[in-house]
Amino acid sequence: MSNSKLYKGSLNTIILKLLTEHDKMYGYEITQKVKSITKGELNITEGALYPALHKLEAEGLLDVEVAKVDNRLRKYYKLTENGTKETINKLSELADYIKTMQSLVNPKLV
Amino acid sequence: MKLTKAHIDQLYTFTQKHYVEWYDVQTELVDHLANGIEAQLQDNPKLSFEEALDIEFKKFGVFGFMDVVSETEKSMGKHYRRFLFAEVKEWFKVPQFIATLSLFLFFLMIFKSELSEVILLGFYVLFVLWIGYKTILLNRAFNKRRKTAKKWLLEHIIFQQASGVVFVGLLNIFNVFNLSSTPTSTVVAIFVSALFTFAVIISVISLQILPSKANELLKETYPTFVTN
Repeated sequence: MSNSKLYKGSLNTIILKLLTEHDKMYGYEITQKVKSITKGELNITEGALYPALHKLEAEGLLDVEVAKVDNRLRKYYKLTENGTKETINKLSELADYIKTMQSLVNPKLV
Repeated sequence: MKLTKAHIDQLYTFTQKHYVEWYDVQTELVDHLANGIEAQLQDNPKLSFEEALDIEFKKFGVFGFMDVVSETEKSMGKHYRRFLFAEVKEWFKVPQFIATLSLFLFFLMIFKSELSEVILLGFYVLFVLWIGYKTILLNRAFNKRRKTAKKWLLEHIIFQQASGVVFVGLLNIFNVFNLSSTPTSTVVAIFVSALFTFAVIISVISLQILPSKANELLKETYPTFVTN
């Protein structure tokens, strides 16, 4: 992940946001989606993604579904009702953060 | 190129060799590695399966699957505690509440009695023996289950980890008991009695009730896993 420290704090928000746009997603799909949306700029590492997913699951924000695909089992994640609410909060927090940073680093634009 | 069943089995063995013991965690990692390998082989058909696996595994970083495993253990611990507290709540509903109240009053009576130290020590010894006995039984039950099925993380917590946690909790209670074996005030007596009541309830739930419901809880936690 490029400049990973800056992105790290937003990983949960990125995951939740992606899940609002897709009914259900699996881990590998999330990494590829982020890569393609950001044109390779952001590359979520596997070592960070799964711990984040499991944490969100434990917090009751994500639900899990397992399905047989080809000759293996695939674990899908989807938003719970709480997860949907939390996504709205997290997105507005992130928007505030971006605005604050913008006013600090580039006051002319604000 | 789609991976074959033999490749998938090979990936399960690979995760096992890299210290992923639990089937639920293995399954997610196997699917992830398989997707990565398939993409690698599509981009570069000259790669062998092993080479592609090596590239994908390196993406997990120097600690390999360790972070994934420890985070999953933590979140499954939370999941378990949710089951535990759901059961605790039951003890505060009628009719179980009568048992909870009787237990509390029993402890209060002991603390108020002149023989409190002797009775409590006797009770403590019996309690420790019961926990030891249950721990052995649960471990045996767990090993028996292992011969026929896959290792599930939640199952390990229910049958093995929980008894350890109860035991540590009990040792801490013993410290409290030392401090207040002869409670001076009614307030202290009430507090210690409540603590003992709570300890008994938690022990009964984690060593008796939850293990007896293990199959149900596993089905609830791994709904499609178990039927697949």
